[in-house]
Amino acid sequence: MTAKRTMTLNLTDAEMRVLDDLSARKDITKTAVLRQALRLYQTIDARVERGEKLLFENDTTKEKAELMLL
Amino acid sequence: MTVEVSKVYLLDVATGEGVEAELRDAIEQAQIDDWAKHWIPVVLAAIQDLVARQVPRADWPQSLHWNWPKKITRVQGMLAFPGFSVVAQGVTQGLAQLDLTRGCQEPGQKGKPLVYVEYLEVAPWNRSELGATPRLRGVGTVLLTAAIALSYEEGFKGRIGLHSLPQADAFYRRIGMTDLGPDPACQNLRYFEMTVEQARAFFEKEEGR
Repeated sequence: MTAKRTMTLNLTDAEMRVLDDLSARKDITKTAVLRQALRLYQTIDARVERGEKLLFENDTTKEKAELMLL
Repeated sequence: MTVEVSKVYLLDVATGEGVEAELRDAIEQAQIDDWAKHWIPVVLAAIQDLVARQVPRADWPQSLHWNWPKKITRVQGMLAFPGFSVVAQGVTQGLAQLDLTRGCQEPGQKGKPLVYVEYLEVAPWNRSELGATPRLRGVGTVLLTAAIALSYEEGFKGRIGLHSLPQADAFYRRIGMTDLGPDPACQNLRYFEMTVEQARAFFEKEEGR
């Protein structure tokens, strides 16, 4: 198993509620939610840096919406 | 980056003896060099044989055209796309590249994160579908087991998913994965998923060996 380091994280009540909710819905620990978020953020950032766009498509209506990352 | 190396065992088909191998949690330059120097000549010979035997192109193993240096370069340094390699007898025997950004499709675990096996390939001399008797057995199972173990380590409880090449469909059914059928979004390859319960059963069976 890869060695890991520990850090303290300060979150607001609202952020903690979202973290709790994601942890419950996705059936993973809060640490796993944050590690997953880091992976996704790095992946999206790398693709946007390459000039790609992040689009969401509604499965039913096929309507597309772009998520703007600043 | 520190590469974790675990000791695993493969089966030497000719002697029936166990062979010590390394499972490495990375695909490094040495693996790319092995692919170019050792895998490609065998793949080219296999293609010549398929052409000579007039095997229709649709029946060729689909992974014959896979270009590992390209696959690895695309995800270099990305946390979401880890790789594994198996090294034995001084050469790379198998490679797997994973994707940790995807969610489950199986109704009982839909939307929960899983380890998706993007590519898994064993060295061409270990593949019976390329004609000759395989040299080493167990490489694919070692790589798949590593994917399930990573799923546990990441807190995904053993959930994995993959699109299977047709020649591997029976293997994934045999190890207990759920067959969710052909996926039009992925060249109609069959999509297989392992649930938490199936992963537990898989490991219990492996430990019992």
